[in-house]
Formats: sequence, C-alpha cells, structure tokens
Amino acid sequence: MRFYVVLRYTVLTFPVSAFFMLISGGIAWSEQTPDMAPLLFSAAIALIMGIFPILFVHKVPHISNKEGLLIVVLSWFSACVLGAVPYILYGDPFTLTNAFFESISGFTTTGSTILSDIESLPHGLLFWRSATHWIGGIGIVIFALALLPFLGFSTVILFRSEVSSLAQKDFQMRARKSTRVLLSVYLGLTVAEIILLSVAGMGLFDAVTHAFGTIATGGFSPRNNSVAAFDSIWIEGIIIVFMILSGIHFAAMFAAITGRSLMVLLRSGVVRLYLFLLFLGTLFTSLDLIFQQGRGPLEAFREAAFNLISVGTSTGFATADTSLWPGLSKLILLYFALQCAGAGSTSGGIKVDRIILLFKSIILRLKQIMRPRAVVFMKYEGNVIKEEFASQAVLYIVVYLLIVTVGTGIIATGGVSLEEAFSGSVAAMGNVGPGFGQIGSLGNYGALSGLAKWVLSALMILGRLEIYALLVFFTPNQWSQSKAY
Amino acid sequence: MHLKLKLLSAFLTIATLLIVAGLWSIKGFKDVQISIKNILDENYRTIQAAHNMLQALEREDSAILLLMHGDWEHGREQLEIADSSFIAELEVAKDNITIEGEAQLLANLNSVYGEYKTIWERPIVSTDKEGDLQWYQKVAHVAFQKVKHEIEYLAELNDTSMYSTASNLETIAERAMKPGIIAIIVTLILIAIFSYFISALVVSPIVRMTDRVRAFREGGELHKLDIHTGDEIQDLANEIRLVAKRTKGTR
Repeated sequence: MRFYVVLRYTVLTFPVSAFFMLISGGIAWSEQTPDMAPLLFSAAIALIMGIFPILFVHKVPHISNKEGLLIVVLSWFSACVLGAVPYILYGDPFTLTNAFFESISGFTTTGSTILSDIESLPHGLLFWRSATHWIGGIGIVIFALALLPFLGFSTVILFRSEVSSLAQKDFQMRARKSTRVLLSVYLGLTVAEIILLSVAGMGLFDAVTHAFGTIATGGFSPRNNSVAAFDSIWIEGIIIVFMILSGIHFAAMFAAITGRSLMVLLRSGVVRLYLFLLFLGTLFTSLDLIFQQGRGPLEAFREAAFNLISVGTSTGFATADTSLWPGLSKLILLYFALQCAGAGSTSGGIKVDRIILLFKSIILRLKQIMRPRAVVFMKYEGNVIKEEFASQAVLYIVVYLLIVTVGTGIIATGGVSLEEAFSGSVAAMGNVGPGFGQIGSLGNYGALSGLAKWVLSALMILGRLEIYALLVFFTPNQWSQSKAY
Repeated sequence: MHLKLKLLSAFLTIATLLIVAGLWSIKGFKDVQISIKNILDENYRTIQAAHNMLQALEREDSAILLLMHGDWEHGREQLEIADSSFIAELEVAKDNITIEGEAQLLANLNSVYGEYKTIWERPIVSTDKEGDLQWYQKVAHVAFQKVKHEIEYLAELNDTSMYSTASNLETIAERAMKPGIIAIIVTLILIAIFSYFISALVVSPIVRMTDRVRAFREGGELHKLDIHTGDEIQDLANEIRLVAKRTKGTR
C-alpha cells in the first residue's frame, strides 16, 4: 500500500471545494457579512492541503484496487471534515457536532439540517451549504476525476467504487468517457433548472441553490419553509420534473439526450417501474388526503405529488408538513424513503433495481418450491439474471434494514419517540433528509442529542457509500485479496 | 518537480498557512479591541454620566427640602453645586450619542430637567411653599421623578447596548481563536504528511539504492531500481543503473 499515492489522490477533491468556498466567500464579500472570513480562510486551507501532496508526489501510472477503494472512502471523509470548517469557524449555531452533521448531510446529499432559522444565516454560508450538495451529488471522486483527467487508468477503479454496483453492470462505456457523460448530464440539468426556475420567478440565488439541491437530490433550501416559501405551482412543477430526472440512471439520461427522445428512457424497465411507483404512490396519497383530511382534489394532488416525489427521489424538499399526513400516507412515504430512485443516479436508498431483484428472487423461490425438479431462471426484460446478483441484492437489503434498526435503537435511547427515531434512521440511511415529528419536512434535527446526530451522520455516510464500500474498507481480508491494476 | 522545489513548497505551504492564520487572528483581536473601545467609549461613559446625574439630582432634591425648612444658605449652595454637576454630566452624555434613540432621550431629559429647574429656581424660603409638604409631593417630587425616570431610561439603553456588544465580543473572541486552533491542527497534519513524504520519497529510495549498490559492489546483481519520484532521486537511480550496466560489461 503506497499511502503517499492514496494521499495524493484523496486530496484532489480539495481544490474543488476551495473553488466553491471562494465563490461563497465572494458572495459574503459583496454583502459584507461575517461569514466572509470563515469561508476565505477555509478556502485557503483547502487549497494548501489540496495542492501540497500533488506537488510533492509524482503522478503514478497505476493505482491498485485497495488503494482506489481507500481513496474513495477517505475522499468522502476528508471532504466532510473540510466542509465543516466554515461552519466551525462561523460559530453559533454551529457547534462541532452540528458543523459535522451539516457538512456530512450536505456532501452525502441527505439534506437534513440542524438549523431552525435558516434565513438568519448569511448568503455566503447558505451558498456553501448548497454547494456541498452539488459537489457531493455526483460523487466527489468522479467530480475530481472529470475535472482532473490526468489520472489515467486509475479512473476505472475509483469510478467502480463510487457508483452503485448495479449501475456498473449496464454502464457500457469506458470509465473515463462515462465520467464525462455524468458530468455533462449533471451540468446540463443544473443549468436548465436554474434557467427555468429563474423564468418561473425565483431570484438567482434561490434558483441556483434550489437547483443544486434538486440535481444532487439533496434538499437543502435557503428558506425556512423550503419550497413552500414560494407557493408557486410553476416552481413546484419544475422541481418535480428535475427531481424525477435526477433519480434516473445518468447514462440513460445521456442516451435520451443524445437520442433526442425521452422515449429512450421508457425502454428501461427500471425507469418504467420507478415512474409507475411514483405515480401510484402519489395517487394513493392524494386519495388518502382527500378522504381522511377532506382536502380538495387539486390541492391534495399538488401536495402529495411534490412531497412524495421529493422523498421518493431522496431529495427532501417540502411544501407541507408531512408529519401531519394520515397514517397510510405516512406509510407510503416511509416505503419510498426506503426504496428511493434508480441506481446510477445521485439518489440514495435501497434503489428500484434492488427492489426488482428482491421480487424476482421471491418469485424464483416460489417457483422452485412449487416445481422442485424444474430448472428455473431469473429473467428480466428477456435477459437471464445471475442468481448471484439477486442474492447480493437481497443481502444488501437485509444488511440495510439491520443497520436502520440498530440506528433506530440507538437514537430511541435518547428519549426520541420511536416514530421519529425510525423515520430519522430511514431518512439518514437513504440520504432522504426529513423524517416525521420534530425532524419532519418543515422541522430540523437541532434538538436531537449529540449521540443521535453522530449516529445519523454515520448512517448518512454508510448509505452514500452503499454500505459495502465502507464494510469492505474495514475488512482486513480485502487488503490481501485485492489485485493491482 | 525538483527536490529543492518540493522541499520549498512544503515549507512555503506551512508558512502560508501560519501567515493566513496569523493575519486572521490579528484581525480578530483588532475586532475585539474595537468592541472593547466601543463598550468603554459608547456605553460605559454615558452610564457613568447617568449615575452622576442621578446623584446630582438626589442632592438637588435634598437641597429643596433644606429650602423648605428655611435653610436658604445651605440649600442654595447645594443646589448650585448639584446643578453645575448635573449639567456637566449631561454634556458628557450629549457628546457621546452613539445609540439609536439616544439623542431623543437626551432631548427629553434636557426638557424635563429644565421644567424641574424652574421649580427650585423660584424662591421657596419665606414663601407659602416653605413647609408645604403637599407642594413638595405634588409639584417638586413629581418633576424630580420625571427627570429620574429619563436618566434611568438613558442608563438602561446604554446597559442593553453594552450587554449586546459584550455578547458579540464573546463571539468575536471565539472567531479570533478558532482559526489559530485550526491552523495548529492543519500545520501538525501537514508536518506529519511532510515527514512521511520525506521518509517515503527521499530517505527510503536512498536507502534502497545504497543497499542495491552495496550488493552490486560485493559481486551481486543490480536488481531493478523501481523508483518513480519524478525528481533528482529518480535521475540518480537511472544513473546508477547505467553505471552498473557499463561496469557489468567491463567485469
């Protein structure tokens, strides 16, 4: 293991963070707010820490498997630590725990906040807060690799650890090209949303920060009442469309854009199911709101569509306090917080792809029980799926739920209600953001204990790195078995 | 990159960080200094003036009671001393208007004090006011209370402002201290990384080369020197390899 190589590539994300810190510092400068110095000092640290190893360590022709994995995990950790520095320097309301929570929530694109009065913070710091979403959204490592393409072959290994393992399977392009594809789609969607939100009446600052939150499926809003603050059907509609798009495999998005037809997206069974489930969820929630709370059909549909799609894509923006929804609607919301969107997107959660594999496994087992002598295969869209893939998906779901349960247990010991503890754990693990109760869609995590915040932070990172990357990282065998590329 | 530049970059990096942290801390302490100055200049001086005005006012009240008891000489003397003291302190407060609403408050104080003054400027001894406790309670004491309340408002306004500045001072001091702590932590990390780089990329290759060259001198093979540091050490390894190749040919 060449730690100097690991160090060199781990800090590649720092100049990217420094760039956004400088922009945030520029905003603070223009408004002469007290966040200027914290942001500029943090940018200086990020630049110094980021450039020093690059200057000292010569570019290496190849990176080993274990080095690549370590780079990915350390990149996330170091980016989260660096991202907390402006908050720590700014001070109240950011204690050390709160600063790390907010930073981890930003980089993992969760969108949970400890802030009760977001609008009291200066614009520079709010911009940095949203920028952490945008940087984290596409994966800091991929981001750095796309910006700094001089890494050569090492890109392959880093990319593989970063993106959901299911997405790699059908992502047929070479890694370097796919990194470029991801960035193009990501940038294109962000710019398009900024323009549309501006046209719909949002100010530039709000448009940029909300676009960052949407495309990264993050959910940080610079407004106390999130998207509800605008009370605009157009703004909600635009954000809904971009939330849905951001939950689709980015390669499929690229294919649709280059093929100049959105129908390309519908060729994918995963996308079809993802859209169908969102529609079904919205429909049932709307009906529940109409019949249980006596809402008007249009009002119910508008509220259900925005908030359900927001959770179902792991974004976390809100136009209503979903804690006040009836039981069935809350249950539907919890399901979507567990499932989230598709692999290969910036979304978190178990992902639609694995849900498909879970149901395919169940059907296969049932067939095997009913016809023990028959040779049965698991098929999806005409292709035979290896049982190994399905087993991995089922195992992933089991481990995922186990971690959520353990997280719930630990948080509940701090006097938090079971509903809040469970919904908080699900929201953190799925990088969704809001739970129910005080941590609901229009609430915040500020009142939780320090322990609960650290547990939730750990869940956010576990969810973002798709559990395995982190578990493998802590498994000693991995280091002896890995091969060099 | 040359080894010299690498080493220089490390030292420059640490130096830059310390300079930035130092500048920030200087700025932070400057802010603390300004805040302390603000507390002393803007608030404390006026609070002190208000306190002195209250004392002068109390003495004027006592002097009125002396006059009501027929002690003209002591009463007038005490009134004149207290009045000049009051006016001097009022001027101090007027010269130190720094808070929003303070000017209006001082104008009110000036006005009510003027009204109070007209009460005791007129003769009291040997008039129907002498010994008239009802006059004292209904006229003199009421005017006295009005002035007293205005002075108390002035002190309260400055007290609140001082508390707010002192609270900010805590935040400013905290902000001045944090970069220093972070700079120390980052510097320690950088020193650790720098030491590791020196060990892994400078010392270790030299030790490896020395071992290989020694083995070669003792008649062994010169094994591949796999050094990719991109500096003079890599050049040295290449040169050793070439020398060994030539020497091997002459053996």
